[in-house]
Amino acid sequence: MLIRSRLAAALAAVVLASCGGGGSEPLVSSAGITSVKVMGDSLTDSGTFEGNDGYGRIFSVQGSESEPNVIWTERTASVLGLAPLCPFFGIAISDEPSTPPTVTTNPTCSSYGVGGGRINNPASKGGESSPLSIVMQMRTAAAVNGSYSASDLLLIDGGGNDAADLVGAYLAAAKDSGASYQALLLTLLPPATVGAVLPTAGGPEQAGGLYMQALADQFYGAIKTYGLELGAQRIALLNMPGITNTPRFQMVLASIEQAKGAAARAQAEGLFRSWIAAFNNRLAANVGSDKRVVVVDFFTSFDDQVKNPAQYKLTNVTTPACPATGVGTDGLPEYNFQTCTAAALSAAPPAGVTDPNWWKTYAFADGFHPTPYGYQLLGQLVARSLAKAGWL
Amino acid sequence: MKTTTIRFALLSLAMAGSVAAHAQAAGSWLVRAGVTNITPDVTSGDLSAPSLAGTKSDVGASTRLGGGITYIVNEHFSLDMPLALPFKHTLTGDGAIAGVGKIGDVKVLPMTLFAQYRFGEPTAAFRPYVGAGPTYAKFFKERSTATLSGLTGGTPANPTTLSVESKLVPTIQLGGTWTLNERWFVDAMVAKTFLKTRTTLSTGQTLDIKLDPVTVSVAVGMRF
Repeated sequence: MLIRSRLAAALAAVVLASCGGGGSEPLVSSAGITSVKVMGDSLTDSGTFEGNDGYGRIFSVQGSESEPNVIWTERTASVLGLAPLCPFFGIAISDEPSTPPTVTTNPTCSSYGVGGGRINNPASKGGESSPLSIVMQMRTAAAVNGSYSASDLLLIDGGGNDAADLVGAYLAAAKDSGASYQALLLTLLPPATVGAVLPTAGGPEQAGGLYMQALADQFYGAIKTYGLELGAQRIALLNMPGITNTPRFQMVLASIEQAKGAAARAQAEGLFRSWIAAFNNRLAANVGSDKRVVVVDFFTSFDDQVKNPAQYKLTNVTTPACPATGVGTDGLPEYNFQTCTAAALSAAPPAGVTDPNWWKTYAFADGFHPTPYGYQLLGQLVARSLAKAGWL
Repeated sequence: MKTTTIRFALLSLAMAGSVAAHAQAAGSWLVRAGVTNITPDVTSGDLSAPSLAGTKSDVGASTRLGGGITYIVNEHFSLDMPLALPFKHTLTGDGAIAGVGKIGDVKVLPMTLFAQYRFGEPTAAFRPYVGAGPTYAKFFKERSTATLSGLTGGTPANPTTLSVESKLVPTIQLGGTWTLNERWFVDAMVAKTFLKTRTTLSTGQTLDIKLDPVTVSVAVGMRF
């Protein structure tokens, strides 16, 4: 009897199995994450500057079909099944250059990331009392939230603007005899170190590496104080991407090549990349084997996207999708994210192109920021890291 | 259930006093039930672009109640159709996404018709056999996880789903039948299916994967 009934069941299964139907499990965190807190720079900004002239909601193409989850932090929240992120800070820039921007806060929002955010925000931009300081963002989030638990996921990035500052000051040495470079170094390095290293042969280059290590220490110190020590158990931290890959830096490097030749360009690019590596290596060493912090290797992935665009279905990794709207004081093109919308780009394809989706496979929106697809690729990279940690 | 079946098989073995005369006579039908395990021997290709280079998948094993029906054509030849409840295989990340855990699961119903050659005399207590035949591997009820959506840019409104192509492929087998008495027998077999298939994601990427599953089945049967 037993065998007969089993056989009957098996036969029934054969018949029943012919009807298909699949699907997807709902997008929720199987690890119990119910809240995402974001601190960082423009790559994490969910609308701090929205409403100001020249700014859009995000630092990318506006109004894409990915809205409201475009940037990597928003995509991560959506994969965890959470509501769309909104900006904690609101910054209104005055028309009068002498009037400081007005900062408002929205405590119901948990994305503290601000475009232009720096780990070592210069005193001229408000230092650590301004939301432009990623340290200030972390401190504010800590004050608002009190403490963190396993249900909180902290998404943090930073350092790209700091690295750009360092490169800018280093290159300015030709004009100011190294004054601004030395001043920047002194904001993080002891005067004795700067005094000893800078005058030596290769000293300025070495000092840049030391600065980036100190920057990584400052970054990790803030993560420790305002995250780990307050109970945070899940922190995903982007390492610094190779900003030399961006169109903006490629232009800077091209101008070096024009002035001093290809060897000088290669040397400069190698130097800047070594600084980024110094930051990333130090950051990884600071985190060590701490399972509470996942370092997402944005550096390697971004390099790979630029070297192997076809693997990522990227059709252009050199030209910004948005049109340049002017030239800045630094001689580099300026862009306007307010007017760089999906509709505007689709309506104005480059010469010889008819596909309105042309911009969707570009890597860069402007000289420094990804397109929505570039953010998607970053989001996918973060998802891999979260899944490996068992947090997804 | 597995334990019960094995216990039952052992009991039957113990009770088998003598071998019946025509356990596998021409024209007879044999029906069996037991357990079947399918273990894929996976060689995964890379997920096509856009993807992280070297994104692969692994596929887990599945064990189900199984069995089959055999028709004895003549002294040495038989036709056999294995039957089983649908198998459910877990898909996990491998290669560039090794360690991400489960990315989905899929049910499969392999339908095979074996032509078998049975060695020895029909009256022999033990008859080894070899078989070969076509298998239609019907894949259905593919389910993706939030992890797959995260890895491929899926969104809550548009989560990434997957579909696995069903295929008609060859299978070979090696087995043996132990006759316990005129009515009962024990059958054990191992089969190898040569199965390559393609998984397609709703985001457009494809993954070619060689599953080449090994099937092991043990069953207790009755002769009619």
